Amino acid sequence: MTLQQQIRSNRLRSGIVVLGFVLLLLVVAALIGLALDLSLGVLALAFAGVYGIVALFQSRSMIARMAKAQAMDPGELKPLSRLVENVSIAAGLAVTPEVRIVEDDAPNAFAAGLRPEKSYVGVTTGLLAKMPKRELEAILAHEVSHIRNRDTYLMTMATVFAGVIALVADIGFRAIAYGGRSRRAGALVAVVAIVGFILAPYAALLLRMSLSRRREFLADAGAAEILNDPEAVALALRRLELDATTITYADASTAHLWVESPTDRVESERRGVLALTSWFNTHPPLEVRIAALEEAGGFRLPERLPADEPFAAELRVGDSVEV
Amino acid sequence: MLWLWILIGVVALLGIVFVLGYNRLVRLRNEVDTGWANIDVQLQRRADLIPNLVETVRGYAAHERGVFEEVTRARAALQQAGTPGAAADANEGLTAALGRLFAVAEAYPDLKASENFLQLQDDLTDTEDKISAARRYYNATVMRLNTSVQSFPWLLFARPLGFREREFFSAQGDTAVPQVSLSR
Repeated sequence: MTLQQQIRSNRLRSGIVVLGFVLLLLVVAALIGLALDLSLGVLALAFAGVYGIVALFQSRSMIARMAKAQAMDPGELKPLSRLVENVSIAAGLAVTPEVRIVEDDAPNAFAAGLRPEKSYVGVTTGLLAKMPKRELEAILAHEVSHIRNRDTYLMTMATVFAGVIALVADIGFRAIAYGGRSRRAGALVAVVAIVGFILAPYAALLLRMSLSRRREFLADAGAAEILNDPEAVALALRRLELDATTITYADASTAHLWVESPTDRVESERRGVLALTSWFNTHPPLEVRIAALEEAGGFRLPERLPADEPFAAELRVGDSVEV
Repeated sequence: MLWLWILIGVVALLGIVFVLGYNRLVRLRNEVDTGWANIDVQLQRRADLIPNLVETVRGYAAHERGVFEEVTRARAALQQAGTPGAAADANEGLTAALGRLFAVAEAYPDLKASENFLQLQDDLTDTEDKISAARRYYNATVMRLNTSVQSFPWLLFARPLGFREREFFSAQGDTAVPQVSLSR
């Protein structure tokens, strides 16, 4: 699949997913309308529309806030912004994405933004502290391919819609639980509505999760192509795999944005219970992603990772030279 | 009558296929042009850094005239290069000349400690990284365009319509352009 086909298929999928979310929203609103009051259902729908539009416009800063990503002074960390610049040139992006820093010891990175020209890449301080330059570049290339493939656009839409649906379902649930009797409907409708309100956010989650998994393979392949170095990507993923630090604010609402799923480790105890949970995983296992790269690139990862100096050391050297 | 409709259908279908293919070629060609513009910007930036560098080094090592001339010549060659291949050759030449300049600089501790010199050296390294990044993108776009232009049926139409194969940005002696294609 060429890049253009990828982008086009992403647009098509975005359309289908948006349609799915709209249907889900309509169902929730209809349930409110049936169980409580028709005008209330219309009101909920209008509220959801306004909220969704506002959230979409706010998404750029909202995601940054949720991930606690801080804008970086361009002079500071110059080697890092240069690395991002080089990767986006190699990817053929017209505009270099901004870099944001997340103060966290867990090595991870994400990309966000509705349009490629207004996107940014977030990296944790842990990533800088643990990754050598070659592997850090691979991670950045992975994020830049997400931006190039318009994955960030799709994911932002999905995040906003999932949030809206959860909110409206919650309002409906509370209205029935505390707001007293439904005027029009019998007990059966009320029960169906309550079950619907409880299940709707999960359906939204499922819809959202189904999106991001295949995208990870594509972004890995894109990164390998951008750098012409599939081994670097595989090495970086292996290093992430071996690292046991969990991101401190692992949060389901932004899980699909990161290069490695930040919540998998948190949820690993729960995962054994339900076979279904693999459906809820935002990312395919790192092991599978590494194997895909090995197969495509025709190499095997060495047993031990190279003990190169982490990139953070280079940052400090860069600073001392400039002082 | 039926035959007429079938004929019209076939012609319409061919027309659609042709339009789609033509648009694809236009897009690929634009990508190559963008890719080349990216390389050109960086080559220009590299060339712009040279006079400053030569002046800085001359301030400390005035008698190393041979090296200065060599670098200046290599820079002029880069600016005159007309094709991507020639530009890549000239760029290699400039890299070699700069290598000798920096080797000379090794002998002058004051120069090596000079902030201006360090800054220029840093900028040059950055430019070289960016040239190699831009080159990866450009060569990938050239590869795509050339593959399309060489494949049937565009083999027959591409040239008359003004789509030509493009030259890779690779110096003579570079072994074939490395290409990893992982996208399925």
